[in-house]
Amino acid sequence: MELLVFGIFFIVYAVMRSQNIELFNEYQLTLNRELGMANTLLLISSSYFVVRAVHAIRGDDVNRCVYWLYAGLAGGTGFLILKAVEYSDKFSAGIGLGTNTFYMFYLSLTMFHFLHVVLGMLILLAVVIKAKRGAYSADNHTGVETGASYWHMVDLVWIILFPLVYIIR
Amino acid sequence: MKITYNIHLIWVVMMLLTLCSYFVGEVGSGGVVSVMILLLAAAIKAVLIIRDFMELRGVSFLWRAIMYGWLSVVCLSIGIAYLVSL
Repeated sequence: MELLVFGIFFIVYAVMRSQNIELFNEYQLTLNRELGMANTLLLISSSYFVVRAVHAIRGDDVNRCVYWLYAGLAGGTGFLILKAVEYSDKFSAGIGLGTNTFYMFYLSLTMFHFLHVVLGMLILLAVVIKAKRGAYSADNHTGVETGASYWHMVDLVWIILFPLVYIIR
Repeated sequence: MKITYNIHLIWVVMMLLTLCSYFVGEVGSGGVVSVMILLLAAAIKAVLIIRDFMELRGVSFLWRAIMYGWLSVVCLSIGIAYLVSL
């Protein structure tokens, strides 16, 4: 469901951009590509750490699973911090949803994704708590895999969002 | 062991593709070639996530059709919208 909504959002962005090319190209240059790239590297790494957590629990190693989940959460936390820095820069410059069509899409798309990162982290945190209580093992780890899949979905959406909003022109 | 090695490699490939995308943006040329490179890099990363991180390699055809179908429609639509406006 989330993927469908993001997919429609992406296509509408591309169509709206094709009708306002100069505006989108001009204001895209005001975005911080370095932070966008750093956030992409953080989410990809975080997803990789969560894969390692799934592999660890399949090997019945709960401690390593928890360790890798914490690493995944650290990646997510880094993403949220960098995104907060980015928003802070924009908001302090007086930029908001009503500034223009480009910023309306930039803010709504990235904030919608931001909320999914927060939800994904809450799910991973719940998995960590259950794992520490001994709820998962090599024979019973569906919860870890489900939490991991949601986190990968959040990563997948950002992987399209980053070049679309920050780079392609 | 083989699976772990592949996952390491996939992580590195995705990091490198991200750096490539960033540098294409830094060159700032735009145009057909850079749009194609950026969309292709994003699509490759997305396939690696779906196939190797989400592990949809061995699941039912329906799930794979949904995920790869979503990716294809999104990337093709974005590509067409950008290319017709060049």
